[in-house]
Amino acid sequence: MARIQLSGIQKQWGDVWGVRDVNIDIADEELVVLLGPSGCGKTTTMRMIAGLEDPTEGEIIIDGEVMNEVDARDRDVAMVFQGYALYPNMSIYENIRFPLRMRNVPKGVQDRLVRRAADMVEMGDYLERKPSALSGGQRQRAALARAVVREPQVFLMDEPLSNLDAKLRQAMRVQIKHLQRQLKITTVYVTHDQIEAMTLADRIVIMQGGTIQQIGTPDEIYSDPENTFVAGFIGAPPMNLISGHIHKGIFTAENIKIPGFNMQVEGAIKLGVRPEDCTVMDAKTKTSHMTGKVFSVEPTGDSTYLTLHVGQNKIEIKADRNYRADLGLIEEVELDTERLYLFDAENGQRVR
Amino acid sequence: MAAVKRTKGANLFIRYLILGSWALFCIGPVLWFLSIGFRPRTEIINPQPIYLPTFSLDAWHMIWSDWPMAKYLRNSVAAIFGSVAIDLALAIPAAYSLARYKYRGRDDIGFYILSTRMMAPAIVAIPIFFLFRNMGLLDTIWALMLVYAAINLSIVTWIIRSYMMDIPKELEDAARTDGASDLRILWEIIIPAVLPGIITAAVIAMIFAINEFLFTLLIASTPDAYTMSVALANFTGGSDGLIYNAIALVAFLAFVPVFLVVIAIQKHLSRGLTMGAVKG
Repeated sequence: MARIQLSGIQKQWGDVWGVRDVNIDIADEELVVLLGPSGCGKTTTMRMIAGLEDPTEGEIIIDGEVMNEVDARDRDVAMVFQGYALYPNMSIYENIRFPLRMRNVPKGVQDRLVRRAADMVEMGDYLERKPSALSGGQRQRAALARAVVREPQVFLMDEPLSNLDAKLRQAMRVQIKHLQRQLKITTVYVTHDQIEAMTLADRIVIMQGGTIQQIGTPDEIYSDPENTFVAGFIGAPPMNLISGHIHKGIFTAENIKIPGFNMQVEGAIKLGVRPEDCTVMDAKTKTSHMTGKVFSVEPTGDSTYLTLHVGQNKIEIKADRNYRADLGLIEEVELDTERLYLFDAENGQRVR
Repeated sequence: MAAVKRTKGANLFIRYLILGSWALFCIGPVLWFLSIGFRPRTEIINPQPIYLPTFSLDAWHMIWSDWPMAKYLRNSVAAIFGSVAIDLALAIPAAYSLARYKYRGRDDIGFYILSTRMMAPAIVAIPIFFLFRNMGLLDTIWALMLVYAAINLSIVTWIIRSYMMDIPKELEDAARTDGASDLRILWEIIIPAVLPGIITAAVIAMIFAINEFLFTLLIASTPDAYTMSVALANFTGGSDGLIYNAIALVAFLAFVPVFLVVIAIQKHLSRGLTMGAVKG
């Protein structure tokens, strides 16, 4: 039952800008992911919501109430940290019980709540252990249990999965998403991993250099990027960005010619195309858009990633899983003309 | 297979040899004290080697009957534990503040605390004497407690501070969002986490305190406030000359309390001494 509004948030340490003019309105029960490279201000933004950091300017409003002057411990937010932050001297049971004790939850209820939270993350059998006797995945599950035990208004998760190996990360991702849906608690999740963001988020906030680049659903972010940063950050492998010229609706670059653009733009421009929207042709036809030399072929099992040298550019293409080719082979490529993006050559903003 | 076994056995032998020699080197003086302490005085000062030592409790009886040794021991223990208690009560909050809060002059204050350690004790001896005289504390163990605490406070603060700086900030952030106040964070999270450091600092302070001589001599003018270290000095003068066997026994008695404490907390101590080193 908590809507989080950040309005005009700025954070400065002396001359150093942490966060600039951040405005986000997070609906009740929504899971919003703050996504960006390290140093983009996402963690600082989250810490300001938690009350661990004070904004230089702007208002943090939770559930209609301005929280700027409210101490972290009175904000009723629970946070999960990258390094788990379990209290090393306490057993897992004591760790999960800690927030209940601090909030003076009646003793009689505490035990039941602790066990319920532990069961939710399948940690019921490890309650007597000390954190040092647990694996990374178990520690993070214990940290999750500690966060859910008091059913806070807001969950804050600061890269909770980045210390885990890939397989465990996938399993924990599923668990976090399930828990969030089950408990219906407004959640802010910070990560630099775009797969995590895409799979978890109701909405993604992409940040860079302390400013918001785009806010949108994973679909919108993927298929309607606002600028080259967002385009290049989302998708694996990322979108190809090709510098060229447009004249009378025809985009040209070395060994590339794509007609059919109906925007009123002329001159230098950047073209964006995703690897999955490129198709290798069997032979040169009229519909071929670019010609390139095979640079590398990487089979992954369910598909094959092909890198072509097209003039000065290296173009990534997601090809059929059976695709194989020798290096140096000349290939013709067709692009899905419905899914091409144009960006301003100067400032990288989308041209529509 | 056999070759592997043999080298393993040889390794083990060398290891025991080295450790055994080291242990003997450390325990040697203690055994020597005991051997001197429990032999008659005439035998000790005999320049000829003696192959069959005589066992004697003369010195043992003497130190307990001729001197109030129990009182000295009690004074020592009270002054030392009292001073360590004062040190910890002051140093833990100070160290936390120095390690965690940001405020103007923090580093200067930290250095100032440490700089008290750099002063030659003789410089402050006279002022301290007058200070305690004016306060009417001369010749009391309270004065000893205060002096020992003052001498050790800086080092105790700095040791605990360095341990606190190793604690991840995330731990405190977690406790804060969990609803804990600053004091509860200190009490329930920080102190248990730096316990090995606190114990290490306490033991170091204890050893400094038990060896303290100058200030004790200055403050204690009657047996009311004599500690073991000053009592020890009493055996070196006077009409009886040097009473070696009694000195050896008193030295041994002075060593016992610290030894027992260290044995009792050995596990924490070794962890404490290495933990800071590895992480620092």
